[in-house]
Amino acid sequence: MIRFNNVHKWFKDLHVLKGVNLEVTQGEVVVVCGPSGSGKSTLIRTVNQLETINEGEIWVDGVNVTDPKTNLNALRAEVGFVFQHFNLYPHLSVLENITLSPIKVKGMDKVAAEKQAINLLEKVGLAHKKDAFPSQLSGGQQQRVAIARGLAMEPRVMLFDEPTSALDPEMIGEVLKVMKDLAESGMTMMVVTHEMGFAREVADRVVFVDHGEIIEQAHPESFFTNPQHDRAKQFLRQLLTPMN
Amino acid sequence: MRFTKRLLTTAVIASAVAAPAMAEGTLDKIKESGVIVLGHRDASIPFSYLADGQTPVGYSHDLQLKVVEAVKKQLKMPNLQVRYNLVTSQTRIPLVQNGTVDLECGSTTNNLERQKQVAFSVGIFEIGTRLLTSKTSGVKDFPDLKGKNVVTTAGTTSERLLKAMNAEKQMGMNIISAKDHGESFLMLESGRAVAFMMDDALLYGELAKAKNPAAWVVTGKPQSFEIYGCMLRKDDPAFKKVVDDAIKATYKSGEINKIYSKWFTSPVPPKGLNLNFPMSDELKELVAKPTDKSAEQM
Amino acid sequence: MNYNWDWNVFFKSTGIGSEIYLDWFISGLGWTIAVALVAWIVALIIGSILGVMRTLPNKAAASFAAGYVELFRNVPLLVQLFVWYFLVPDYLPEQTQIWFKQELAPTTSAYISVVVCLALFTAARVCEQVRTGIQALPKGQSAAALAVGFNQAQMYRHVLLPQAFRIIIPPLTSEFLNIFKNSSVASLIGLMELLAQTKQTAEFTANMFEAFTLATIIYFVLNMSLMGLMSWVERKVRVPGMMGGAK
Ligand SMILES: Nc1ncnc2c1ncn2[C@@H]1O[C@H](COP(=O)(O)OP(=O)(O)OP(=O)(O)O)[C@@H](O)[C@H]1O
Ligand SMILES: [Mg+2]
Repeated sequence: MIRFNNVHKWFKDLHVLKGVNLEVTQGEVVVVCGPSGSGKSTLIRTVNQLETINEGEIWVDGVNVTDPKTNLNALRAEVGFVFQHFNLYPHLSVLENITLSPIKVKGMDKVAAEKQAINLLEKVGLAHKKDAFPSQLSGGQQQRVAIARGLAMEPRVMLFDEPTSALDPEMIGEVLKVMKDLAESGMTMMVVTHEMGFAREVADRVVFVDHGEIIEQAHPESFFTNPQHDRAKQFLRQLLTPMN
Repeated sequence: MRFTKRLLTTAVIASAVAAPAMAEGTLDKIKESGVIVLGHRDASIPFSYLADGQTPVGYSHDLQLKVVEAVKKQLKMPNLQVRYNLVTSQTRIPLVQNGTVDLECGSTTNNLERQKQVAFSVGIFEIGTRLLTSKTSGVKDFPDLKGKNVVTTAGTTSERLLKAMNAEKQMGMNIISAKDHGESFLMLESGRAVAFMMDDALLYGELAKAKNPAAWVVTGKPQSFEIYGCMLRKDDPAFKKVVDDAIKATYKSGEINKIYSKWFTSPVPPKGLNLNFPMSDELKELVAKPTDKSAEQM
Repeated sequence: MNYNWDWNVFFKSTGIGSEIYLDWFISGLGWTIAVALVAWIVALIIGSILGVMRTLPNKAAASFAAGYVELFRNVPLLVQLFVWYFLVPDYLPEQTQIWFKQELAPTTSAYISVVVCLALFTAARVCEQVRTGIQALPKGQSAAALAVGFNQAQMYRHVLLPQAFRIIIPPLTSEFLNIFKNSSVASLIGLMELLAQTKQTAEFTANMFEAFTLATIIYFVLNMSLMGLMSWVERKVRVPGMMGGAK
């Protein structure tokens, strides 16, 4: 479904991705973790080309997204993206946030789009908030709306960049629950997160990134109990120490 | 409408309370302060203007200086100081009224509206309102302006006359009201108007400034006459007598002819332009029989 | 000061037909509004396009808009008016020139020039406000818009501009008031707007304080109404929690 072939990325002199090779298959849930600044966000943002790359190729669902001839708007419509800071449109109501792109990008008719949006809001447990504005919602509620907004485009893949790290602890659970349901429905997902509980329970595979390289890939159980690489061990130790 | 009127009434009461009366006469004031304040213009060529950017010169200014001489004699103050105060068409009346300026001599028309606010000296000049046009335009007189674009300067008697003529005789003229005389002439020169209606003296002034003065001509039967006068405060007969007498003496002695030719038929500063504007019969008449009446009162 | 007040002056005949001086003020106000409103609409459209251009990744578009702003903001308004009224028509094709200078009624050609002048001048100022508004938005907004498949035009139309405009309503209000004040340059090319009619009345009647007092009152009432209009717009489009935009 997603394939990275020897992907390199520089920010000016900074070599952020150093020859990444990775494959995510249909229906798979892959968790990406690694220390801060290691390039996780950059990596996931290259999938729908919010970041361009300097070398290598990325394929999504049989399309070479790094080919200049590729229609990026069409591609992005097929790939949902959930941001750390939600990025809901503050001037639109919850319902409008969700229906805007189906109507404008896919040309869906308004009534159908609203019906679909309410269905999605029911799934994330927020149908009663359809007329609220983003500023009137808690962080966890906003992130659930953001997920519904991504799903409204009926994407083949969902990408998550630290979807819970901007949330108060008591709200993390409600968002992870929605993501878990989504995974169980068979969605292909690539998730940057440090939520190990989620990784253990939901992920098919954990990918550990450091200094722009994939250092280790493993089944969650074996990654957490028996990491191979020193840097992965050190990372896990820090993660498990309270007050890291 | 009712609201406006009530608002205006309130303003009247407020201003009546605020306006203090000028207690003493101008001569007393000059005597006390040792200074006479002369109002002048910056660009009323050749009446009152700044040739070097600092001190005023001009036909009206020369007459103004005649008055200063008379005041010196009258008050026996040979060392009387002269202070200049630049005025514009908007500020000249209030500045005379509130005592900032003692005597304004420029190119101010004596008319009934203004007589309600200030007093006028005997007339110092008389103009007729005529047309400036190119020699090839075919315009000889006002009736030739039917259906044409005609420019005049905003806020002048010419503008009012032109508009009234247009309405009364249904001439179908397009009347352009330009900001000042220079711009009116620009409208004429750039082909936006075929003729420029204004005081003849001012038309000669613009003509003299033109790139090619020979291409233009002042024409048409004067539609009105206007008498220019110096402005002073109302109800000050002592000062008015000094002013009038000084001007009349200049007329009587024939010195006025020298002053006239200096400004209207010789090159004038700063550029040495010659207006070539011979003295009109109307002005000769005014010099012979000086009056402080406005043209409409005659 | 021995000034003769006469507030009835506005109801006196001007000597032209059956007009009274108040008619001059009314017609002046009409021209002021006609100039300012039309110029404002054009300025908003052009200014928004330029403001968007300034934020585009396309270097050529951005520097064109930047150059435009420099030029139109730094050349004095009066100079610009003279260029549009006296200079530009001289470079039109012969036929158009005759049409513009002679066949068109002088008020019409003056009106066109002053509207073009004010619109282009104000567009430069609107452009800067729009640019500031767009740049004040969090980066995540454009990323979110692109991520759902919007193209650039859709992103500006549906996500960035609606937010940017809400943020910049207060500075736009002051530009809106400015264009009314600036519309008085129209009198320089013979369009008798409110200030010109005021000066004219003052000149003809020698009742300048009455004339300028009335003008002050009219400008004041006009300004209050415009501010009222803009705050009504602001209330209409207000969104909870979006005062001042970025969080
Ligand atoms: N737009 C940019 N311009 C220049 N450098 C950037 C840019 N975005 C990221 N970087 C740098 O690239 C490196 C990788 O950043 P990235 O955001 O991908 O890391 P991350 O693994 O997501 O970190 P975190 O866990 O803190 O989110 C960092 O050193 C960062 O400073
Ligand atoms: Mg990150």
